Amino acid sequence: MPAAVAAGTRPRSGVAPPASGGGAERNRVSRYLLTQTLSFVVTLWAVLTLVFFAVRALPGDAATILGGLDASQAQLESLRGTLGLNRSLPAQYVDYLGDLARADLGTSLRERRPVVRVLLDRLPVTLTLAGLAFALSLLVGGLLGLLAGLRPGGPFDRATLLFTTVALAVPEFWFGFLLILLFAVNLGWFPVIGLPPQGLTLAATWNLLLPAVTLAIPRAAQLARLARARVLEERGSDYVRTARSKGLRAPSVARHIAANALPGVLPLVALELGGLLTGTIVVEQVFGLPGLGLTILGSIAARDYPVVQGVTILAVTVYVLVNWLADLLQLAADPRLRAPS
Amino acid sequence: MLAVSFHRNLRAFALAACLATLGGSALAQTLTLAMSAQPDTLDPQVTAATAAFQVGKSIYDTLVEVNQAGEIVPALAAAYTVSDDGLTYTFELVETTFHDGTPLDAADVVATLDRIRAPETGSPKATEFQAITGVTAADDRTVVVTLSQPAPALLATLASGWGAILPSEKLAAGHDFGNQPVGTGPFRFQGWVRDNAVTLARNDAYYQGAPALEGVVIRFVTDSAVQLQGLLTGEFDVIDTVAQADLPTVEASPDLELVREPSGLVLVAALNARRDYLSDPRVRRAINLAVDTEVVMDVAYNGGTQVGTFMEAGSPWYPEAVEPFGYDPEAARALLQEAGVPQGLRLDMALPQPYEEHIQAGQVVQDYLRDVGIEAEIRIVEWGVWLSQVYGGPFDFDVTVVGHTGKLDPSGRLSGIGDPTRNYTGLDDPELVELIATANRTSDPEARADLYERALVRIHEQAPFLFFGTPDRIYARRANVDGFWMTPLLDSFDFRQATLR
Repeated sequence: MPAAVAAGTRPRSGVAPPASGGGAERNRVSRYLLTQTLSFVVTLWAVLTLVFFAVRALPGDAATILGGLDASQAQLESLRGTLGLNRSLPAQYVDYLGDLARADLGTSLRERRPVVRVLLDRLPVTLTLAGLAFALSLLVGGLLGLLAGLRPGGPFDRATLLFTTVALAVPEFWFGFLLILLFAVNLGWFPVIGLPPQGLTLAATWNLLLPAVTLAIPRAAQLARLARARVLEERGSDYVRTARSKGLRAPSVARHIAANALPGVLPLVALELGGLLTGTIVVEQVFGLPGLGLTILGSIAARDYPVVQGVTILAVTVYVLVNWLADLLQLAADPRLRAPS
Repeated sequence: MLAVSFHRNLRAFALAACLATLGGSALAQTLTLAMSAQPDTLDPQVTAATAAFQVGKSIYDTLVEVNQAGEIVPALAAAYTVSDDGLTYTFELVETTFHDGTPLDAADVVATLDRIRAPETGSPKATEFQAITGVTAADDRTVVVTLSQPAPALLATLASGWGAILPSEKLAAGHDFGNQPVGTGPFRFQGWVRDNAVTLARNDAYYQGAPALEGVVIRFVTDSAVQLQGLLTGEFDVIDTVAQADLPTVEASPDLELVREPSGLVLVAALNARRDYLSDPRVRRAINLAVDTEVVMDVAYNGGTQVGTFMEAGSPWYPEAVEPFGYDPEAARALLQEAGVPQGLRLDMALPQPYEEHIQAGQVVQDYLRDVGIEAEIRIVEWGVWLSQVYGGPFDFDVTVVGHTGKLDPSGRLSGIGDPTRNYTGLDDPELVELIATANRTSDPEARADLYERALVRIHEQAPFLFFGTPDRIYARRANVDGFWMTPLLDSFDFRQATLR
């Protein structure tokens, strides 16, 4: 599979695969894209079907929640009619898939507006948070792992080991509370509550730093561990010995090691990016951030089926895209994968 | 015709508002309140959630409203008359405009009341309007409401958040009031970021005189610890929840003030009369005697006043003859023995998540019941499951703990228990049902009070609940906040006279 993409990606270095028949290449590329798209659609359908029925298997529906303690049975029934909940499950399922085929995600039962609007309102917060956390964990984790791996047993390596052990042992919400207590309550550098009343603004991006750090800590630690192990492995390789013996200076050697260690780290990076989505649910709750995490919790509690399904679609799409991106990145990072089979 | 007409001294109001505005003009007068719940929608006609009405109070007005003393007073209706037979209500409207600039007229009231009664609206409060047979505009400023039978609770309904008056032009256009509310209220809706905040700006054209505050920000903060931190740092001016452990902190701080006032809640453990042994009133009374509800109130609800029937303490409707049961485990054991309850009887106690206070109360009850030989097994259920399986449908519980919110009229409190299809306790008592139904349609105040009293005494004797009590409404504000109050029984936030010093 990876070889097929080679012609499509045309990576940076000069190690291009030898040109073979252009038509055959194009065929392989379109076949690759077709299978990828097909597998995405099948995955989405399977997950969505599961979520569709699972969320409806929960006792209670949006009408019982909206009705509270005061509504009579007759009122709940008429509310169900208004919300479209009184039709049979198969009918609802078929309708939903039909709407979906026309790119209509439906209407939120709780917010009574299109699901797309609900998601678009919330997405910027979660994306910014996840993006910040991802960049932080990459930067800190990669750097720590590299530096620790280059001098194993040294004081920096030991400090890194201590950090990663603590960071992986402690649940992330606890770091969140700690950071709030220190930086928001005691030092007053951040507000105690996530974002200003109008939501995410450019100026308010600063407020996302604490939650991003919270989210990044365990991920940076994981990355640091793996990067260190990969660097150690590379350090013992023949090419490193050769480079050293011909008098290459340490920073240049380190660059070579980093370049070769990278492909082995990428799958974990992709996995983490997917994991960030679940991580944000916890962190958004701790910091009270109006993102997708709070949306999914709130819509499950309110039995807002269309929104739960909408978030599912989003999550599956992001997950598939991220893995696809990781494939491509790995190709870019490792010339060996691009050799024609 | 029995004429009840009121004249509001609008000039005094306007003057007070002007003075307040002058006094505060030096500061940016925006008050921030943190609340633990949040509205599902701001359309007052499609929800039953207290949070929606707490916020909606500042955006919408009602024909009549509740003042600080708990009395129903004129609002958008400057005056009203009730016909002698109690079947015709005539409302005279004040002159004011909606936030979109359209003037209020009788057609708005007609359209509003037509919409909430329409089945396709799906309002959970529609039953409260069911006695209405017609709403017509006699002229531009006069609305006539006709009823099929006397409904003394109608004014209470119209004073509640779900009686909010909406503009007919926008109703006809299918406007999305849930996300873009438009009313005549003291503040205009500015924006709503869900899970975050609602922003409101002063309505300079408010008919009672513009409020002193330029704006109000209502923040949704679930965690009471975060609420308190924000109050301490000054991010919030008012918070609606104070945890028991934080009471000393608030009381000790010179910058903060703790407010304790009566609430409209009745806290109970419902006893499922459909189940073995619990169908026997002696057993239900024994359970009431077996639990020291003062301890329950102190441990779980920050204290309060015990009650002995299904009416909040301090209510004018609370019958003088009814005392709380009192704690008497000896008498409880004797009653249980007399009713033939076996030692070690197991009861299923379903407690609703995420209401920590009810779960705590359930744990205290469990301890007391063990003392009289009853084993209550606690089962925590999520709120949606609780509503559909415990409170509704299969009534899957022996004991469950919940709070019933305040109602302006006793019919709101008692109709549920008087309607066999809605009564989750399963108490089958035709005499009680008849008493409540008669009271609900009796116009004569004395006869009505007598009927409710008899119903409440009967509820005490039948004991479909283990009655806990009425908790205090506890909230906190910064010491420089003046004039903020919460509507009695309805708990709505009233910022109209609020200022920041």
